[in-house]
Amino acid sequence: MSTESALQTATQLTAAWAKATTTPEANRVDISVAPSDLHSAVAALHGAHWGYLAAITGLDSPTTNEIELLYHFCQDAAVFTLRVSVPRDDAAVPTICDVMPSASLFEREVMEMFGAKIIGTPDTARLVLPDDWEEGVYPLRKDFVPTPDAQATKV
Amino acid sequence: MHTHAEVEKFVVPIGPQHPALKEPGHFEFTVDGEMVTHASVRLGYVHRGIEKATEQRTWVQDLYLLERICGICSHTHATAFVLGVEKLAGIPAPPRAQAIRVLVAEMERIHSHLLWLGVAAHEAGFDTLFMYTWRDRETIMDLLEGLTGNRVNYSANVLGGVKFDVDAEQADSIRRGLDFLQERTEHYLEVIRRDEMFLRRTRGIGVMTQAEADEFGVVGPTARASGVARDIRIQAPYAAYDAYPVNLVVEHAGDLEARFIVRVRELLESYRLIRAILDALPEGELSKKLPRRIKSGETISRVEAPRGELFYFIQSGGGDKPTRVKVRTPTLCNLASVLTLVIGHQLADVPMILVGVDPCFSCNDRAVVLKSERDEKVWAWEQLRQYGIDFYRKGKA
Repeated sequence: MSTESALQTATQLTAAWAKATTTPEANRVDISVAPSDLHSAVAALHGAHWGYLAAITGLDSPTTNEIELLYHFCQDAAVFTLRVSVPRDDAAVPTICDVMPSASLFEREVMEMFGAKIIGTPDTARLVLPDDWEEGVYPLRKDFVPTPDAQATKV
Repeated sequence: MHTHAEVEKFVVPIGPQHPALKEPGHFEFTVDGEMVTHASVRLGYVHRGIEKATEQRTWVQDLYLLERICGICSHTHATAFVLGVEKLAGIPAPPRAQAIRVLVAEMERIHSHLLWLGVAAHEAGFDTLFMYTWRDRETIMDLLEGLTGNRVNYSANVLGGVKFDVDAEQADSIRRGLDFLQERTEHYLEVIRRDEMFLRRTRGIGVMTQAEADEFGVVGPTARASGVARDIRIQAPYAAYDAYPVNLVVEHAGDLEARFIVRVRELLESYRLIRAILDALPEGELSKKLPRRIKSGETISRVEAPRGELFYFIQSGGGDKPTRVKVRTPTLCNLASVLTLVIGHQLADVPMILVGVDPCFSCNDRAVVLKSERDEKVWAWEQLRQYGIDFYRKGKA
């Protein structure tokens, strides 16, 4: 299957939930979905065996007061991304672990790094931050400024 | 009096301290007698906040920072980053530079796979194979040092190209080294396919079916040993891989033996590829100049590291620093599979299954506390390994 037709298939599979569709690069299609539609869109891709979940990227933009989560699916050269925007002060998306158990580690990373709540995820333990890292401090948010005496030195 | 269940079932924590491991991990295996019934992982012991740090450094500084994420596959990290930045800038590196990137990447794959073969053989109690592979690995380490000046962190890439050229004399010494390695590797392929003792540690152990491999989203040799044709060099050729095509190496058994065979066959494929590059290195300049500020945009850069797909997401706001660099290493994908794979296996097979996905394991002391109602004793990794070897020496009673 060529990259174009693979992307076309993915776009059609998720068309019902797509709020906006962009093509940032020749081998990529990004669609925006509402947090409540994320699970259905992932299930549609998974049900059609379209690619695999390669990563979940978090993006923080204080200017728009949003946290964006990017669910990247790859099939050969094609990369199909579901983008979910949630407010910074109430960042919550449903888990996709029931459809894709392999998402657990990615979800744990997003939770502790961006402070996004993943509702219903099976394992909420910290993945990479130290045990004594302060609750409510999310290092990959833009307003977190690492300093030499930041918490990391306590360990 | 304890009931049977109370004394027979306990948690075996393995890790986290392990100086030689790229990503030291803390595993907890719940065992019922000899059988593993549950596994979980805790990472982050070497979390250095590199993703955050990239946002405070310039594009050029980030190249050197990202190359230091991993000591074994440093070149693939740098390559993923420069390819992404060049895409954002719209200035691809010249063909000769791309070919040299692939050349170094394949030499790095050789050293990484030989390193793994030695470590895996050691975990199986086959120290002769470990000694021989690591001796042979010095051949490629010397060649890398001769070419780049470094045994690790080769620093071959710059934004827009590469730093050094390959002359005829260097090409000849690489060819001579490969001739030696070719002969040795063919012998190792015989050993891992034929040695009865070794096969008892690998055949039918840690089986991952193709459906499972797809479901877990595993990458690299671990996926290809389960029949999943997933190799970024072939599916989405980057740098010069379209000019020097790679032949897919795939096995279908999905067990540890298949993972050995895939990696050793990939060595042979890398030798062929390097010869092809040296025979037809395009002429031309080595680098293009990139601006200090990179056009705003987002890009995804995927490269095939020795352990599998390495995924970079790079976002530029148009400044001299990236606004976001996201790195997803292959080990993260593959570790998740281990947690499921070990369930139902003997504790004695755990070292081999862990090593089977190549999470940068090496051998050193690490504490293992066996907790139970009755007693508590501390095991070093060495003891767990020895336990595995003794278990198989006596035979699975």
